[in-house]
Amino acid sequence: MRRLLPFVLIGAALLAWELVVRSGLWSPLLFPPLEKILSELILFFSKSESLMEAWVSLYRALGGFALAAVAGVAIGMLMGRSAPAAALLDPFFSGTYAIPKIALFPIFIFAFGIGSLSKLALVFLECLYPIVIITCQGARSVNRVLLWSAQNMGESRLRTFARVVLPATAPYIFAGFRVALPVALIVVIITEMISSADGLGYVVIYALASLKTDRMLAVVAVIALLGLALDRALVFLRDRLVYWEKLETYYV
Amino acid sequence: MGIVRFVLLLLVLLAWQLLWIRGLPEYVLGPVEILRHFGAALGERDFYDHVGASLMRSMPGFALGTLLGIALGLAAGVARSFDQMLSPVVFLTYPVPKIVMLPLFMLWFGIGDVSKILIIALACFYPAFISAYYGAKATPAILVWSGLNMGAGKWRIFLRVVVPNALPQVFAGIRVSLALSFIVMFATEMINARSGLGHMIRVAENSLRFDLMYVSLASIAILGYASDQLLRLGRERVLAWQEQNA
Repeated sequence: MRRLLPFVLIGAALLAWELVVRSGLWSPLLFPPLEKILSELILFFSKSESLMEAWVSLYRALGGFALAAVAGVAIGMLMGRSAPAAALLDPFFSGTYAIPKIALFPIFIFAFGIGSLSKLALVFLECLYPIVIITCQGARSVNRVLLWSAQNMGESRLRTFARVVLPATAPYIFAGFRVALPVALIVVIITEMISSADGLGYVVIYALASLKTDRMLAVVAVIALLGLALDRALVFLRDRLVYWEKLETYYV
Repeated sequence: MGIVRFVLLLLVLLAWQLLWIRGLPEYVLGPVEILRHFGAALGERDFYDHVGASLMRSMPGFALGTLLGIALGLAAGVARSFDQMLSPVVFLTYPVPKIVMLPLFMLWFGIGDVSKILIIALACFYPAFISAYYGAKATPAILVWSGLNMGAGKWRIFLRVVVPNALPQVFAGIRVSLALSFIVMFATEMINARSGLGHMIRVAENSLRFDLMYVSLASIAILGYASDQLLRLGRERVLAWQEQNA
Protein backbone atom coordinates (compact mmCIF):
# COMPACT_ATOMS: atom_id res chain seq x y z
CA MET A 1 0.00 0.00 0.00
CA ARG A 2 2.73 2.44 0.93
CA ARG A 3 4.58 1.80 -2.33
CA LEU A 4 1.38 2.29 -4.30
CA LEU A 5 0.41 5.57 -2.66
CA PRO A 6 2.49 7.83 -4.94
CA PHE A 7 0.86 6.27 -7.99
CA VAL A 8 -2.59 6.78 -6.48
CA LEU A 9 -1.72 10.43 -5.92
CA ILE A 10 -0.46 10.90 -9.47
CA GLY A 11 -3.63 9.27 -10.73
CA ALA A 12 -5.75 11.58 -8.60
CA ALA A 13 -3.87 14.64 -9.87
CA LEU A 14 -4.37 13.58 -13.49
CA LEU A 15 -8.05 12.94 -12.83
CA ALA A 16 -8.44 16.38 -11.24
CA TRP A 17 -6.73 17.93 -14.27
CA GLU A 18 -9.11 16.15 -16.64
CA LEU A 19 -12.10 17.32 -14.57
CA VAL A 20 -10.89 20.93 -14.78
CA VAL A 21 -10.53 20.55 -18.56
CA ARG A 22 -13.97 18.96 -18.94
CA SER A 23 -15.65 21.60 -16.78
CA GLY A 24 -14.98 24.06 -19.60
CA LEU A 25 -14.55 26.93 -17.15
CA TRP A 26 -11.08 27.76 -18.40
CA SER A 27 -9.68 28.11 -21.88
CA PRO A 28 -7.97 24.96 -23.22
CA LEU A 29 -4.96 27.22 -23.65
CA LEU A 30 -4.62 27.40 -19.86
CA PHE A 31 -5.53 23.76 -19.20
CA PRO A 32 -4.88 21.66 -22.31
CA PRO A 33 -6.58 18.24 -22.33
CA LEU A 34 -4.46 15.30 -21.17
CA GLU A 35 -4.58 13.48 -24.49
CA LYS A 36 -3.05 16.48 -26.27
CA ILE A 37 -0.27 16.67 -23.71
CA LEU A 38 0.27 12.93 -24.08
CA SER A 39 0.46 13.12 -27.87
CA GLU A 40 3.00 15.96 -27.54
CA LEU A 41 4.93 13.78 -25.11
CA ILE A 42 4.98 10.91 -27.62
CA LEU A 43 6.04 13.37 -30.30
CA PHE A 44 8.84 14.55 -28.02
CA PHE A 45 10.24 11.07 -27.57
CA SER A 46 9.86 10.11 -31.23
CA LYS A 47 11.83 13.06 -32.63
CA SER A 48 15.59 12.99 -32.50
CA GLU A 49 15.83 16.80 -32.33
CA SER A 50 13.86 17.03 -29.11
CA LEU A 51 15.84 14.15 -27.62
CA MET A 52 18.95 16.13 -28.50
CA GLU A 53 17.60 19.07 -26.47
CA ALA A 54 17.16 16.76 -23.49
CA TRP A 55 20.67 15.42 -23.99
CA VAL A 56 22.10 18.96 -24.07
CA SER A 57 20.44 19.81 -20.73
CA LEU A 58 21.48 16.50 -19.20
CA TYR A 59 25.06 16.95 -20.38
CA ARG A 60 25.24 20.43 -18.83
CA ALA A 61 23.69 19.33 -15.54
CA LEU A 62 25.75 16.15 -15.14
CA GLY A 63 28.96 17.71 -16.44
CA GLY A 64 28.83 20.58 -13.97
CA PHE A 65 27.73 18.23 -11.21
CA ALA A 66 30.58 15.79 -11.87
CA LEU A 67 33.18 18.57 -11.76
CA ALA A 68 31.65 19.90 -8.53
CA ALA A 69 31.58 16.37 -7.06
CA VAL A 70 35.29 15.83 -7.65
CA ALA A 71 36.37 19.29 -6.50
CA GLY A 72 33.81 19.45 -3.68
CA VAL A 73 34.79 16.13 -2.11
CA ALA A 74 38.47 17.05 -2.34
CA ILE A 75 37.97 20.49 -0.76
CA GLY A 76 35.54 19.17 1.85
CA MET A 77 37.94 16.41 2.88
CA LEU A 78 40.80 18.89 3.10
CA MET A 79 38.73 21.27 5.24
CA GLY A 80 37.44 18.45 7.42
CA ARG A 81 40.79 16.83 8.14
CA SER A 82 43.20 19.76 8.19
CA ALA A 83 42.85 22.68 10.59
CA PRO A 84 44.90 25.21 8.56
CA ALA A 85 42.92 24.39 5.40
CA ALA A 86 39.67 24.86 7.33
CA ALA A 87 40.85 28.19 8.77
CA LEU A 88 41.75 29.36 5.28
CA LEU A 89 38.74 28.11 3.31
CA ASP A 90 35.90 28.16 5.82
CA PRO A 91 35.50 31.98 5.86
CA PHE A 92 35.26 31.91 2.08
CA PHE A 93 32.56 29.24 1.91
CA SER A 94 30.48 30.42 4.86
CA GLY A 95 30.84 34.07 3.81
CA THR A 96 29.62 33.53 0.26
CA TYR A 97 27.12 30.75 1.04
CA ALA A 98 24.04 32.99 1.21
CA ILE A 99 24.92 35.00 -1.91
CA PRO A 100 22.92 33.85 -4.95
CA LYS A 101 25.53 32.67 -7.42
CA ILE A 102 22.99 32.94 -10.23
CA ALA A 103 23.70 36.68 -10.30
CA LEU A 104 27.15 35.88 -11.72
CA PHE A 105 25.57 34.37 -14.83
CA PRO A 106 25.70 37.53 -17.00
CA ILE A 107 29.41 37.87 -16.23
CA PHE A 108 29.90 34.17 -17.01
CA ILE A 109 28.23 34.76 -20.37
CA PHE A 110 30.83 37.40 -21.18
CA ALA A 111 33.65 35.24 -19.90
CA PHE A 112 32.64 31.82 -21.25
CA GLY A 113 30.22 32.60 -24.05
CA ILE A 114 26.53 31.90 -24.40
CA GLY A 115 26.98 28.17 -25.06
CA SER A 116 27.41 25.28 -22.65
CA LEU A 117 30.53 26.53 -20.90
CA SER A 118 28.90 29.40 -19.00
CA LYS A 119 26.13 27.04 -17.83
CA LEU A 120 28.58 24.35 -16.79
CA ALA A 121 30.52 26.93 -14.79
CA LEU A 122 27.43 28.12 -12.94
CA VAL A 123 26.24 24.55 -12.23
CA PHE A 124 29.70 23.77 -10.90
CA LEU A 125 29.66 26.78 -8.61
CA GLU A 126 26.14 26.17 -7.24
CA CYS A 127 26.76 22.44 -6.66
CA LEU A 128 30.14 23.01 -5.03
CA TYR A 129 28.73 24.56 -1.84
CA PRO A 130 26.45 21.78 -0.54
CA ILE A 131 29.01 19.10 -1.42
CA VAL A 132 31.90 20.92 0.29
CA ILE A 133 29.88 21.80 3.40
CA ILE A 134 28.36 18.35 3.96
CA THR A 135 31.58 16.46 3.11
CA CYS A 136 33.49 18.67 5.54
CA GLN A 137 30.93 17.92 8.26
CA GLY A 138 31.32 14.19 7.60
CA ALA A 139 35.12 14.24 7.51
CA ARG A 140 35.12 16.07 10.84
CA SER A 141 32.87 13.53 12.52
CA VAL A 142 34.98 10.45 11.76
CA ASN A 143 35.20 8.39 14.93
CA ARG A 144 38.53 9.21 16.58
CA VAL A 145 38.88 5.71 18.03
CA LEU A 146 38.91 4.24 14.52
CA LEU A 147 41.69 6.62 13.48
CA TRP A 148 43.75 5.78 16.58
CA SER A 149 43.29 2.06 15.96
CA ALA A 150 44.49 2.41 12.39
CA GLN A 151 47.52 4.42 13.53
CA ASN A 152 48.26 1.91 16.27
CA MET A 153 48.27 -0.89 13.75
CA GLY A 154 50.91 1.01 11.81
CA GLU A 155 48.83 2.07 8.82
CA SER A 156 50.24 4.77 6.59
CA ARG A 157 48.37 8.07 6.30
CA LEU A 158 47.25 7.25 2.78
CA ARG A 159 45.89 3.86 3.79
CA THR A 160 44.15 5.35 6.83
CA PHE A 161 42.51 7.86 4.55
CA ALA A 162 41.42 5.28 1.98
CA ARG A 163 40.27 2.61 4.47
CA VAL A 164 38.93 4.66 7.39
CA VAL A 165 38.23 8.31 6.56
CA LEU A 166 36.76 7.80 3.10
CA PRO A 167 34.29 5.01 4.03
CA ALA A 168 33.27 6.87 7.20
CA THR A 169 32.58 10.02 5.20
CA ALA A 170 30.87 8.26 2.27
CA PRO A 171 27.29 8.55 3.65
CA TYR A 172 27.81 12.31 4.07
CA ILE A 173 29.30 12.64 0.60
CA PHE A 174 26.21 11.02 -0.88
CA ALA A 175 23.95 13.23 1.24
CA GLY A 176 25.76 16.21 -0.30
CA PHE A 177 25.35 14.74 -3.79
CA ARG A 178 21.65 14.28 -3.16
CA VAL A 179 21.27 17.96 -2.31
CA ALA A 180 23.44 19.08 -5.23
CA LEU A 181 21.95 16.97 -8.04
CA PRO A 182 18.51 18.68 -8.11
CA VAL A 183 20.33 22.01 -7.82
CA ALA A 184 22.30 21.13 -10.97
CA LEU A 185 19.10 20.52 -12.91
CA ILE A 186 17.47 23.70 -11.55
CA VAL A 187 20.44 25.85 -12.55
CA VAL A 188 20.56 24.34 -16.04
CA ILE A 189 16.85 24.94 -16.62
CA ILE A 190 17.04 28.51 -15.26
CA THR A 191 20.07 29.45 -17.34
CA GLU A 192 18.52 27.92 -20.45
CA MET A 193 15.36 29.90 -19.81
CA ILE A 194 17.34 33.13 -19.39
CA SER A 195 19.60 32.93 -22.38
CA SER A 196 20.12 29.99 -24.64
CA ALA A 197 19.27 28.60 -28.04
CA ASP A 198 19.00 24.98 -26.99
CA GLY A 199 18.18 22.71 -24.04
CA LEU A 200 14.91 21.87 -22.31
CA GLY A 201 14.61 25.21 -20.50
CA TYR A 202 14.77 26.99 -23.84
CA VAL A 203 12.16 24.66 -25.34
CA VAL A 204 9.76 25.41 -22.45
CA ILE A 205 10.09 29.19 -22.83
CA TYR A 206 9.85 28.93 -26.62
CA ALA A 207 6.67 26.82 -26.38
CA LEU A 208 5.17 29.32 -23.93
CA ALA A 209 6.05 32.27 -26.17
CA SER A 210 4.37 30.57 -29.13
CA LEU A 211 1.38 29.64 -26.93
CA LYS A 212 1.85 25.91 -27.50
CA THR A 213 0.74 25.13 -23.97
CA ASP A 214 0.35 21.40 -24.57
CA ARG A 215 3.93 21.13 -25.81
CA MET A 216 5.15 23.24 -22.91
CA LEU A 217 3.45 20.94 -20.39
CA ALA A 218 4.87 17.88 -22.13
CA VAL A 219 8.40 19.29 -21.74
CA VAL A 220 7.67 20.29 -18.13
CA ALA A 221 6.70 16.65 -17.55
CA VAL A 222 9.93 15.49 -19.18
CA ILE A 223 11.97 17.78 -16.89
CA ALA A 224 10.08 16.56 -13.83
CA LEU A 225 10.66 12.93 -14.81
CA LEU A 226 14.33 13.68 -15.45
CA GLY A 227 14.65 15.13 -11.94
CA LEU A 228 13.00 12.07 -10.42
CA ALA A 229 15.07 9.63 -12.50
CA LEU A 230 18.37 11.32 -11.60
CA ASP A 231 17.51 11.21 -7.90
CA ARG A 232 16.48 7.55 -8.11
CA ALA A 233 19.69 6.68 -9.97
CA LEU A 234 21.77 8.42 -7.31
CA VAL A 235 19.95 6.60 -4.48
CA PHE A 236 20.44 3.30 -6.34
CA LEU A 237 24.16 3.95 -6.66
CA ARG A 238 24.39 5.04 -3.03
CA ASP A 239 22.68 1.92 -1.73
CA ARG A 240 25.19 -0.24 -3.63
CA LEU A 241 28.28 1.72 -2.58
CA VAL A 242 27.32 2.55 1.02
CA TYR A 243 25.55 -0.74 1.66
CA TRP A 244 26.47 -0.80 5.38
CA GLU A 245 24.36 2.21 6.25
CA LYS A 246 20.68 2.36 5.40
CA LEU A 247 19.45 5.57 3.86
CA GLU A 248 17.35 7.37 6.44
CA THR A 249 14.73 8.95 4.28
CA TYR A 250 11.16 8.47 3.38
CA TYR A 251 10.14 5.44 1.32
CA VAL A 252 10.13 7.44 -1.87
CA MET B 1 41.79 34.54 14.16
CA GLY B 2 39.44 37.32 13.12
CA ILE B 3 42.35 39.59 12.30
CA VAL B 4 43.98 36.92 10.12
CA ARG B 5 40.75 36.56 8.15
CA PHE B 6 40.42 40.29 7.75
CA VAL B 7 43.99 40.62 6.49
CA LEU B 8 43.38 37.72 4.11
CA LEU B 9 40.29 39.41 2.73
CA LEU B 10 42.21 42.66 2.28
CA LEU B 11 45.01 40.81 0.49
CA VAL B 12 42.54 39.19 -1.91
CA LEU B 13 40.92 42.55 -2.66
CA LEU B 14 44.34 44.16 -3.11
CA ALA B 15 45.47 41.42 -5.51
CA TRP B 16 42.21 41.84 -7.44
CA GLN B 17 42.68 45.60 -7.68
CA LEU B 18 46.30 45.22 -8.81
CA LEU B 19 45.29 42.66 -11.43
CA TRP B 20 42.61 45.06 -12.62
CA ILE B 21 45.14 47.87 -12.95
CA ARG B 22 47.42 45.53 -14.92
CA GLY B 23 44.48 44.97 -17.24
CA LEU B 24 41.64 42.47 -17.00
CA PRO B 25 38.89 41.80 -19.57
CA GLU B 26 36.38 44.60 -19.95
CA TYR B 27 33.67 42.73 -18.06
CA VAL B 28 35.71 42.38 -14.86
CA LEU B 29 35.81 45.51 -12.72
CA GLY B 30 38.16 46.17 -9.83
CA PRO B 31 36.84 46.41 -6.25
CA VAL B 32 37.45 50.16 -6.06
CA GLU B 33 35.52 50.71 -9.29
CA ILE B 34 32.63 48.55 -8.04
CA LEU B 35 32.53 50.50 -4.79
CA ARG B 36 32.52 53.79 -6.70
CA HIS B 37 29.65 52.68 -8.98
CA PHE B 38 27.73 51.29 -6.03
CA GLY B 39 28.12 54.57 -4.18
CA ALA B 40 26.86 56.44 -7.22
CA ALA B 41 23.84 54.14 -7.52
CA LEU B 42 22.97 54.74 -3.86
CA GLY B 43 22.22 58.34 -4.78
CA GLU B 44 19.69 57.42 -7.47
CA ARG B 45 15.98 56.81 -7.06
CA ASP B 46 15.92 54.11 -9.73
CA PHE B 47 18.15 51.88 -7.69
CA TYR B 48 15.84 51.92 -4.67
CA ASP B 49 12.86 51.17 -6.93
CA HIS B 50 14.59 48.04 -8.21
CA VAL B 51 15.62 46.88 -4.74
CA GLY B 52 12.11 47.54 -3.45
CA ALA B 53 10.51 45.63 -6.32
CA SER B 54 12.80 42.66 -5.69
CA LEU B 55 12.12 42.61 -1.96
CA MET B 56 8.37 42.91 -2.55
CA ARG B 57 8.61 39.63 -4.44
CA SER B 58 11.11 37.64 -2.39
CA MET B 59 9.83 38.52 1.09
CA PRO B 60 6.13 37.59 0.65
CA GLY B 61 7.12 34.45 -1.27
CA PHE B 62 9.62 33.46 1.39
CA ALA B 63 7.18 34.13 4.24
CA LEU B 64 4.31 32.27 2.58
CA GLY B 65 6.31 29.20 1.54
CA THR B 66 8.34 28.90 4.73
CA LEU B 67 5.46 29.37 7.17
CA LEU B 68 3.27 26.90 5.29
CA GLY B 69 6.17 24.47 5.04
CA ILE B 70 6.95 24.65 8.75
CA ALA B 71 3.30 24.34 9.79
CA LEU B 72 2.55 21.38 7.53
CA GLY B 73 5.94 19.78 8.21
CA LEU B 74 5.35 19.88 11.98
CA ALA B 75 1.82 18.56 11.48
CA ALA B 76 3.06 15.70 9.31
CA GLY B 77 5.78 14.99 11.87
CA VAL B 78 3.34 14.46 14.74
CA ALA B 79 0.03 13.37 13.16
CA ARG B 80 -0.16 10.14 11.22
CA SER B 81 -3.05 11.26 9.03
CA PHE B 82 -1.14 14.34 7.84
CA ASP B 83 1.97 12.23 7.37
CA GLN B 84 0.28 9.72 5.11
CA MET B 85 -1.45 12.39 3.08
CA LEU B 86 1.33 14.96 2.63
CA SER B 87 4.69 13.24 2.88
CA PRO B 88 4.41 11.06 -0.26
CA VAL B 89 3.53 14.11 -2.36
CA VAL B 90 6.33 16.22 -0.92
CA PHE B 91 9.03 13.58 -1.09
CA LEU B 92 8.02 12.46 -4.57
CA THR B 93 8.10 15.97 -6.03
CA TYR B 94 11.17 17.08 -4.06
CA PRO B 95 13.78 16.31 -6.77
CA VAL B 96 11.65 17.98 -9.46
CA PRO B 97 13.07 21.42 -10.33
CA LYS B 98 10.32 23.74 -9.13
CA ILE B 99 11.35 26.52 -11.51
CA VAL B 100 9.77 24.59 -14.43
CA MET B 101 6.42 25.56 -12.94
CA LEU B 102 7.18 29.24 -13.66
CA PRO B 103 5.87 29.22 -17.27
CA LEU B 104 2.78 27.40 -16.04
CA PHE B 105 2.25 29.93 -13.24
CA MET B 106 2.82 32.77 -15.69
CA LEU B 107 0.05 31.30 -17.81
CA TRP B 108 -2.37 30.89 -14.91
CA PHE B 109 -1.61 33.92 -12.77
CA GLY B 110 -0.23 36.34 -15.34
CA ILE B 111 3.31 37.55 -15.88
CA GLY B 112 3.15 39.99 -12.96
CA ASP B 113 4.26 39.61 -9.37
CA VAL B 114 1.74 36.92 -8.36
CA SER B 115 3.34 34.17 -10.41
CA LYS B 116 6.80 35.16 -9.14
CA ILE B 117 5.72 35.24 -5.49
CA LEU B 118 4.03 31.86 -5.85
CA ILE B 119 7.04 30.21 -7.46
CA ILE B 120 9.29 31.61 -4.71
CA ALA B 121 6.83 30.27 -2.12
CA LEU B 122 6.82 26.86 -3.80
CA ALA B 123 10.61 26.67 -3.80
CA CYS B 124 10.82 27.76 -0.13
CA PHE B 125 8.14 25.30 0.96
CA TYR B 126 10.22 22.15 0.42
CA PRO B 127 13.26 22.74 2.66
CA ALA B 128 11.00 24.20 5.36
CA PHE B 129 8.63 21.23 5.26
CA ILE B 130 11.34 18.57 5.21
CA SER B 131 13.41 20.01 8.06
CA ALA B 132 10.33 20.65 10.24
CA TYR B 133 9.12 17.11 9.48
CA TYR B 134 12.35 15.43 10.50
CA GLY B 135 12.76 17.77 13.45
CA ALA B 136 9.33 16.88 14.84
CA LYS B 137 9.84 13.19 14.10
CA ALA B 138 13.11 13.16 16.03
CA THR B 139 11.45 14.18 19.31
CA PRO B 140 12.63 11.65 21.93
CA ALA B 141 9.64 9.52 22.91
CA ILE B 142 10.75 9.64 26.55
CA LEU B 143 10.17 13.41 26.66
CA VAL B 144 6.66 12.98 25.28
CA TRP B 145 5.97 10.21 27.82
CA SER B 146 7.26 12.36 30.65
CA GLY B 147 5.00 15.18 29.53
CA LEU B 148 2.02 12.86 29.32
CA ASN B 149 2.82 11.42 32.74
CA MET B 150 2.88 14.87 34.25
CA GLY B 151 -0.56 15.44 32.84
CA ALA B 152 0.16 17.73 29.92
CA GLY B 153 -2.42 17.88 27.14
CA LYS B 154 -1.69 17.19 23.48
CA TRP B 155 -1.38 20.86 22.55
CA ARG B 156 0.86 21.57 25.49
CA ILE B 157 3.16 18.72 24.54
CA PHE B 158 3.25 19.93 20.96
CA LEU B 159 4.09 23.51 21.97
CA ARG B 160 6.44 22.79 24.88
CA VAL B 161 8.15 19.56 23.79
CA VAL B 162 7.89 18.91 20.05
CA VAL B 163 8.34 22.47 18.77
CA PRO B 164 11.38 23.38 20.91
CA ASN B 165 12.91 20.04 20.02
CA ALA B 166 12.40 20.66 16.30
CA LEU B 167 13.55 24.30 16.35
CA PRO B 168 17.25 23.79 15.51
CA GLN B 169 16.25 21.75 12.45
CA VAL B 170 13.55 24.27 11.56
CA PHE B 171 16.12 27.06 11.56
CA ALA B 172 18.40 25.00 9.31
CA GLY B 173 15.46 24.69 6.90
CA ILE B 174 14.66 28.41 7.08
CA ARG B 175 18.28 29.19 6.21
CA VAL B 176 18.09 27.08 3.05
CA SER B 177 14.70 28.59 2.16
CA LEU B 178 16.02 32.12 2.61
CA ALA B 179 18.94 31.49 0.26
CA LEU B 180 16.56 29.85 -2.21
CA SER B 181 14.12 32.76 -2.11
CA PHE B 182 16.82 35.13 -3.38
CA ILE B 183 17.99 32.70 -6.05
CA VAL B 184 14.49 32.13 -7.39
CA MET B 185 13.61 35.83 -7.14
CA PHE B 186 16.67 36.76 -9.15
CA ALA B 187 16.06 33.97 -11.69
CA THR B 188 12.41 34.88 -12.28
CA GLU B 189 13.34 38.53 -12.70
CA MET B 190 16.03 37.62 -15.21
CA ILE B 191 13.59 35.46 -17.14
CA ASN B 192 10.74 37.94 -17.24
CA ALA B 193 10.21 41.19 -15.34
CA ARG B 194 10.05 44.93 -15.79
CA SER B 195 11.67 45.85 -12.49
CA GLY B 196 13.90 44.40 -9.82
CA LEU B 197 17.58 43.57 -9.51
CA GLY B 198 17.38 40.62 -11.91
CA HIS B 199 15.78 42.85 -14.54
CA MET B 200 18.44 45.49 -13.88
CA ILE B 201 21.28 43.05 -14.55
CA ARG B 202 19.64 41.87 -17.78
CA VAL B 203 19.26 45.41 -19.07
CA ALA B 204 22.84 46.16 -18.07
CA GLU B 205 24.03 43.02 -19.84
CA ASN B 206 22.19 43.85 -23.05
CA SER B 207 23.43 47.43 -23.13
CA LEU B 208 26.96 46.49 -22.01
CA ARG B 209 26.67 48.67 -18.89
CA PHE B 210 29.14 46.72 -16.82
CA ASP B 211 28.93 49.26 -14.01
CA LEU B 212 25.20 48.57 -13.53
CA MET B 213 25.84 44.82 -13.76
CA TYR B 214 28.16 45.01 -10.80
CA VAL B 215 25.82 47.32 -8.88
CA SER B 216 23.07 44.68 -9.21
CA LEU B 217 25.49 41.89 -8.33
CA ALA B 218 26.76 43.76 -5.27
CA SER B 219 23.21 44.54 -4.10
CA ILE B 220 21.99 40.96 -4.31
CA ALA B 221 25.18 39.77 -2.59
CA ILE B 222 24.65 42.27 0.23
CA LEU B 223 20.96 41.37 0.54
CA GLY B 224 21.73 37.64 0.65
CA TYR B 225 24.53 38.02 3.15
CA ALA B 226 22.72 40.52 5.40
CA SER B 227 19.51 38.49 5.60
CA ASP B 228 21.52 35.37 6.42
CA GLN B 229 23.29 37.21 9.24
CA LEU B 230 19.95 38.56 10.46
CA LEU B 231 18.58 35.04 10.59
CA ARG B 232 21.65 33.91 12.51
CA LEU B 233 21.08 36.66 15.03
CA GLY B 234 17.46 35.60 15.45
CA ARG B 235 18.52 32.00 15.81
CA GLU B 236 20.95 32.86 18.58
CA ARG B 237 18.22 34.68 20.50
CA VAL B 238 15.57 32.00 20.09
CA LEU B 239 17.92 29.07 20.58
CA ALA B 240 20.03 30.56 23.37
CA TRP B 241 19.57 27.38 25.41
CA GLN B 242 20.87 25.25 22.57
CA GLU B 243 23.99 27.34 21.93
CA GLN B 244 24.97 26.90 25.56
CA ASN B 245 24.89 23.13 25.19
CA ALA B 246 27.01 23.08 22.08
